Parts: sequence; structure tokens; C-alpha cells
Amino acid sequence: MNKDILIKKWLNDELNDTEKVAFEKLDDAQINLAILENAKYFKASNFLEVDDFNTFKQHYYSQKQPAKKLFELSTFLKIAGVLVIAFGVYFAFFFNNETQIKTLAGEKTTVELPDKSQVFLNALSSIEYNESKWKDKRLLKLYGEAYFKVAKGKKFDVVTSSGIVTVVGTKFNVKQRLNYFEVKCFEGIVRVSSNTIERLLHAGDTYQILNNTFIESKTTAVLPKWTTNLSDFEAIPFKEVLAELERQYNIQIKSEDVNTNRLFTGGFVHNNLENALIAITQPMNITYELSSSNQVVIRGKNK
Amino acid sequence: MPKELTDTICEEIVFKGIYNKYSKDLHDFLYYKYGERFNPKDKAQDAFIKLWNNCKKVKLSKAKSYLFTVANNMMLNEVKHQQIVLKHQQINTKNHTNETPEFILEKEQFFERYKKILEGLSKEQRVAFLMNKAEGKKHSEIAELLGVTQKVVEYRIYSAFKILKKELEGFKIK
Repeated sequence: MNKDILIKKWLNDELNDTEKVAFEKLDDAQINLAILENAKYFKASNFLEVDDFNTFKQHYYSQKQPAKKLFELSTFLKIAGVLVIAFGVYFAFFFNNETQIKTLAGEKTTVELPDKSQVFLNALSSIEYNESKWKDKRLLKLYGEAYFKVAKGKKFDVVTSSGIVTVVGTKFNVKQRLNYFEVKCFEGIVRVSSNTIERLLHAGDTYQILNNTFIESKTTAVLPKWTTNLSDFEAIPFKEVLAELERQYNIQIKSEDVNTNRLFTGGFVHNNLENALIAITQPMNITYELSSSNQVVIRGKNK
Repeated sequence: MPKELTDTICEEIVFKGIYNKYSKDLHDFLYYKYGERFNPKDKAQDAFIKLWNNCKKVKLSKAKSYLFTVANNMMLNEVKHQQIVLKHQQINTKNHTNETPEFILEKEQFFERYKKILEGLSKEQRVAFLMNKAEGKKHSEIAELLGVTQKVVEYRIYSAFKILKKELEGFKIK
């Protein structure tokens, strides 16, 4: 193969095994590799890190200019007085339409949106949306976990701090907890975009970012189990299982001698704490102890 | 086609998503293109500030190109025709190294030369080459960020490489 073509393919990372061998046998193989290897020393992030969002936000607010004085303050205030009252009333009646619905630990609820879309909210979650603008703008903010059945219509956006899910008439579950962002599509097509990864999910596809690791896989379920008062997990770090148990039963779990990063496959019910605890501790070879004030201590059995 | 709503990015949660998605890439792009002397970090941040100030006027799907265009223009205003200066990592020379002093010196010279050649490349070649070979970004990702086709990116990388090779061929690196 022509040397130039070989080099081009190598630069594009397109060499197959035989071509790789041929490339390494080139007489200038060494300098080729040296150039590539040493490019890494010029990496931008070796020298400078960008600020995280919170730092950026602080900087943004500190550099915002105070409002400029546009006209004589006293006359302005007199007029402003009347106007403010009028607007105050008007705004209160017509513009306070950011609806917020929250669930507490151990609580689930169903919300029907103005277009008949349905949102099933899991425990310790909340959604916010603008009811009066819903006809034109189907945008909803989610904190926590919810299962959506979206009525056909305009584009529907679910916004979370980890990513945005965009759909048109479909069924999907969004879970956004600490270091855990997961979207499961049960019907229709869903577009998920998060920091660097965008995917189009079809029925049966799942998208997961756990501790900054992206995993895409499949589900055979037709809807999320938690809507039927069960939680199930497939190879999920044990600490996430504990976190969900805490949310469903409004308890606090302390762990001793337990590796909470171990992967857990299994589930628990939402209506019986003892059974739930047995279900998650037995497979992991752990004991549990229930104290009076909704505290549970779990211990590894290696003593 | 439903009317795309323009005030989505004013929502902090959405803006934060955009920030997290593009802040590093924008900064890296400015750094690779213009070097470090003109404060790529500040320019990148200023571009985000401008985006947030204008959030009502910019659609979500146009946010990326807005950021890159604004930042690039801010840079151009300052740079004009000045020299580009890149940095390179100081090579750590351990005390117990079995490399001879001449070898270490040659390595330093190699880097100095490498740096000078990079600085002499066209901006397009340098950005494409470093984003791919230093950052590890895929051709498709770079194409998307720069708003060009993948073939263009591949061509720029190839051109950059040929120049580097021609200028560095004399060095005998282990």
C-alpha cells in the first residue's frame, strides 16, 4: 500500500491489523510515532482548567453592572409607584404560573399536565412547569425521578441538571440523582443530550451516566417497576440501592464494613421495610439492624 | 415544524448544561488557535457571559456556534497580527534517569522545535491537529465543533503532520 495512504489512514485511526504491521515497518516509523506521542505534551488542559459552573456563576453575578440611572429619580418614583401597584396585581393574577409539584420521601404522585400528558413522580422528586404557557412551550424541569406519558403534540422537553430529554409523544423514565442520570425509553423516540453525549433512544433503549461513566443498554420492561411499587436494579452500585431505599421509606441507612460500590442485581418492595431490607441484605451477605427512629445500620458479615 | 422557542437557554438549568458541555472545548479551541498569551480562559468566559446576557435572542441549537463565533471575534480584536505562543510541559528529568545528558538536551530541543513548528502552522491546521492528537477528540467531534466537514478536518490534520514530519525528521528520538 502506498506510504502516503498508509499514513493518512493511520492519522485517521483507520488501520486494520495487517496495515498496522505494514505501518510499523516503514523506515520512518519512529519519527511518525514520536510526533504523535509528543503531541500530548501540548494539551491545553495541562496548563489551564476551565472554571466549573458554580465558579462561573459567581463571577457572572459579581461582574454584572448595577442598573444605570436613566432619569430623575423622584419623578420616576412617583410614576413608578402607581405602575408598580397595577403591575403587582396583574402579575400576581396572571404571571405566577410556575407550577411546582414535589413529593416527599415515601411518597409518589401523578400529575396531569394541561395537554393531558401524564407525569408519575417518584419519591423525593419535583417538577416545575409554566401552566399558562404550556400550549406553546412544553418545557418541564425535573429534580429526581419521573415516568412520563407524553401526549402527541409539539416538542416536549424535560430539563434536568444533568441533561435534556426531548420527545414528541412517547413514554419514558428519567432518573436524575447524585452522580446518576438515567433515561429509559418505553415507547416512541426520545432524544437525550447531556454534557458530551447525545443519543436517540427507541423503545427498549436505556441511557445511563453513572459517576461520569456512560453506559447504554436495553430494557425489556414495558414500564418502570417503581410505578408498581417495586424497585429493581441490574448491576447498579449498592449505594444507589441504599439511596432509593431511604427515599421510599423515609429512613436513614448507615453502613459499616460494607463495600457500597459493589454491583447489586435484585429489587425490593415499597410496602414492607423488613422484607425490603432482607431482599437487599441477604444477597450481599450483610446484616441489618432496625433502630426506633427510622435508622437502619447495615454491617458486613466478615466478623 | 414547531416554532423553536428562544428563551429556553435563560433557564439556569439549561444554561448550565451548555456551559458544562462546551466550556472546556471552547477554551481549548481558543488556546490551540491563538495560544496562551491572549488569555483564552477569559475570552471563553466572556463568551459565556455574553451568551447569558443575550439568552433571549439565541436558540438552544445555535448556542454552540454563537459561543465559538463570539469568542473568536473577541480574540481577533486582540490578536491582530501578533505571534502565537504555545506552552509545552516541562519534561520531568528524574535524578536517577538513565538517559544521558546529551539525550535529555536533544529531547528539549526536539520539543522546542516541535513547539515552534506548531506555532508556525496555519491556525486551522494547528487546531485540528491538536484537538485530535493532544486532546483525543474524534474527527467527527472536531468537525461538529468547528462547523466543517470531517474530510476537511482529516485534511488539516494530514497537512499539519506532513509539515511537522518534514521539520522534525532530522531528530533521532528513541
